[in-house]
Amino acid sequence: MSKDYKDSLPISASRFMEEFMRLKRGSVSRRHFLGVTGLGLAAAVIARVPGLQGGAAYAQDLGTQMSIATWPNYHDPATFEAFTAATGVAVEVNVFGSNEEMLAKLQAGASGWDLFVPTNYTISTYVKLGLIDELDIAKAPNFSPSTQNTRFTNEGMVDGKTYALPKNWGTTGFAVNTGKIKTPMTSWKDFFELAQTEADGRAMVHDYQLTTIGNALVSLGYSFNSIKPEELAKAEELLIKVKPHLYAINSDYQPSMRATDAWLTMCWTNDGAQLNRDMPEIAYILGKDGGEIWTDFYAIPKDAPNKAAGYALLNFLMDPAVAVKEHIANGAPTTDSRVIALLPAEITSNKIVYPDEAALTPLEFGAAVTLTDPGRAELMARFKSA
Amino acid sequence: MRALVSAVYLFLYAPIALVVLFSFNAGRNASEFTGFSTQWYGKALSNGFLTDALINSLIIAFTSATLAAVFGTMAALGMERLSPRARAVFDGLFAAAIVVPGVVIGIATLVALVEVFAFINPVLASLWPGERPPKIGLGYGSIIAAHGLFSMALVTMIVKARISSLGRDIVEASGDLYATPLTTFRQIVLPQILPSILAGFLLAFTFSFDDFIVAFFVAGSKTTLPMYVFASIRRGVTPEINAIATLVLVASLVMIVVARVLMRERKAKTAATE
Amino acid sequence: MPLAPATKRNLVTSALVAPAAAWLFVFLVLPFIAILVFAFGERAPEGGYQAAFTFAQFANLGSRAAAFRNTMMIAPVGAFLCLIVAYPVAYFLAVKASPKYRLVLVSLVVVPFWTSLLVRTYAWMYILGSRGLPNLLDMVGISDVRMLNTPGAVLLGIVYGYLPLMIMPIYVSLEKLDLRLLEASADLGAKPLSTFFGITLPLSLPGVMTGTALVTILLLGEYLIPQLLGGGKVFFIGNALVDLFLQSRNWPFGSAIAVTLVAVVVLVLLVAMRIAWRFAGTRQVDLV
Repeated sequence: MSKDYKDSLPISASRFMEEFMRLKRGSVSRRHFLGVTGLGLAAAVIARVPGLQGGAAYAQDLGTQMSIATWPNYHDPATFEAFTAATGVAVEVNVFGSNEEMLAKLQAGASGWDLFVPTNYTISTYVKLGLIDELDIAKAPNFSPSTQNTRFTNEGMVDGKTYALPKNWGTTGFAVNTGKIKTPMTSWKDFFELAQTEADGRAMVHDYQLTTIGNALVSLGYSFNSIKPEELAKAEELLIKVKPHLYAINSDYQPSMRATDAWLTMCWTNDGAQLNRDMPEIAYILGKDGGEIWTDFYAIPKDAPNKAAGYALLNFLMDPAVAVKEHIANGAPTTDSRVIALLPAEITSNKIVYPDEAALTPLEFGAAVTLTDPGRAELMARFKSA
Repeated sequence: MRALVSAVYLFLYAPIALVVLFSFNAGRNASEFTGFSTQWYGKALSNGFLTDALINSLIIAFTSATLAAVFGTMAALGMERLSPRARAVFDGLFAAAIVVPGVVIGIATLVALVEVFAFINPVLASLWPGERPPKIGLGYGSIIAAHGLFSMALVTMIVKARISSLGRDIVEASGDLYATPLTTFRQIVLPQILPSILAGFLLAFTFSFDDFIVAFFVAGSKTTLPMYVFASIRRGVTPEINAIATLVLVASLVMIVVARVLMRERKAKTAATE
Repeated sequence: MPLAPATKRNLVTSALVAPAAAWLFVFLVLPFIAILVFAFGERAPEGGYQAAFTFAQFANLGSRAAAFRNTMMIAPVGAFLCLIVAYPVAYFLAVKASPKYRLVLVSLVVVPFWTSLLVRTYAWMYILGSRGLPNLLDMVGISDVRMLNTPGAVLLGIVYGYLPLMIMPIYVSLEKLDLRLLEASADLGAKPLSTFFGITLPLSLPGVMTGTALVTILLLGEYLIPQLLGGGKVFFIGNALVDLFLQSRNWPFGSAIAVTLVAVVVLVLLVAMRIAWRFAGTRQVDLV
């Protein structure tokens, strides 16, 4: 995402200070100040100027601001800029490193989000806890159920009702800087071994129980979703042995990989595709011993302060023309055949984004029980504080 | 010695210089200087979320510091008149408010308020005559309250120290001369403790304005400036953050200089009248 | 009917302390009772709290021994490093600096407080990351040095963040020092070093004690610096605590840790006060 914002400076710094001093002296009104300095948005917030909301297509009052909770490096900033241009609603992007963190924030109440991005295995729990409402599909007419690949999208429905619409699917593998690490790697077993040797002090794991514990389990030959105490104990032993050799425990590894502070990291499809695109020496590898395959969804929290805007953005993102641009920018594979039809060949043939079926076979979808299992939660917390 | 002290000042200011430098970066990355530009100042000030966070922080810092200054001063004056045992209880509570780590204050306040709201909101709903009963939740109130706790203890501590060094005879003399207690307070006591109240207010404001961890837990859906900065660090810092930090720094420097000048003038005036 | 003077006096007193008392009760005592109650509860199946009476949370404290140990080691070491850096600066400001510039120099110690600590710490993330100092080292032939996300980085961040808090109290106590004492000592033939250890240092001890206690106690609850400069690896008890609320959603265990942390802080404070008393002889020392 090296792309620069195109909009130019609305006003020069000296002119700004001049106007600011005039305002301070009281010789101009606040509205004049906001007008000339281009603080249109601030003016809209303060004065609630209805004319600024624009977007005749949106009959409903969408307000001027909304908030989305999502994952690191998961959207093209241009998408939100386009949404703001179309509707007058500015989008605040909050970034989280794990589903557990999102759940914790929603459980504590008043998250302030109007839309968020939970992963497949969490949706049934959100429904059970009453934290999300059934979606009114009519408010997202751009969504097309018939063109979805149901292999990925089933978990958005609970008891026949739709609670979440698919964003994209993906895999959890690892990214390795082959300029720094010469040993070829093919499995999670390799990952945890090299993290202690060739990548000593340079490897990262997610701050996320599902993948960090799951991949440790896989490297030991167990299921990604295991909650068996004896298997978890083995995984804990491995993780605590590896911990002193790690560079960091963080789900946002792109900055560290790009700066070559880190050479090896657990990695999601979209980050792998972005890193590989900008730095070809960074390879993205799926464990031949296993790992995760997942789908992320959009859902609306029950206590969302601006549901109208939440639906508007949801519908906007479901538009294939928007989704295809998002796809090209962030590199996560789509569940919607309408979007696939629009994609250029270099994306559909990219093996990081659309791996061969054989590479996907050993992977498992996350299981709902891992989200709430106290054993896994406590293991992760112990690992981090060890 | 001089070299060592210079090195420490360099250590203190190098990161600040870096922050200011990157606020003039042309590129959108806060880690690679690609050319000079002032565009981020404009962008920062037209970013509604950033300005909202700044305004929230100013409102919260000002309100909590003001309440702390008023209630803290009142408490410092009142504690003088309490029995030794009651005073000891207050001393202990104020000390606790200062030394209990912010992270514990944040968590404990969150836990308590979530329980209180879970109790109050249904009651409120059942008593409410209209269709949509109001729902109390976390927000300005909870941040101001949690910040005010520490700040009030701070103000009380500082003002009390000043009061204890205050001469009593002049207060008694004022009484002997038939001044009402209120007049005595306004004309004798207040001018003497005012500098310490102001110092307490400033400290309280600074604390609240820079606090992250307490607000992180009790802010609900509100965002303060430090929370916004923290979220930015996670999603990738743009020079907007550097621009706002630079503006805040410049504003506080201006305030220090103005305060200095005012104080010098006042001193000159008092010297002249003497 | 006019009120009796005693009644009136009591009314005024109550009115003066009532707001503070209410505030302390609702936002300090009540929350503390809440976490105390929670600490004996159980984690709800999906996370959060459910009522129970069990000592299980306290029995599990051992699983965070490493975090407690880290904190109890890094906090005093950090405070001590702060002291070593701060003392010469405070000494210079109070004794050596020309009075003309003293006020400016003292203000310069405090000014960093007005730039968000978060932003300044982020600047350190840049300085210690590959593009910063390691890059410079690379130019002179020392390659692949890792600085960020190490205990050293966390200590550096601590010294950086807390230095002003250490300098100020020492400066204040040195400023009160009667410079004629130092002159007298020199006139009587004492060497500079023995003057320092015989007179300056003992008289500045209250400031040293205040600064050290203040920084140590604040460090016990530190969260941001290890989070940003330690890469989630150098774990303070504050980080473990946040994790329990924001990831594993184990409110009862988090409450038990919070209660324990408060107990540790109080203990450290008592020890610090005891030491302060011993050093200062019979004199009363204000810690704040």
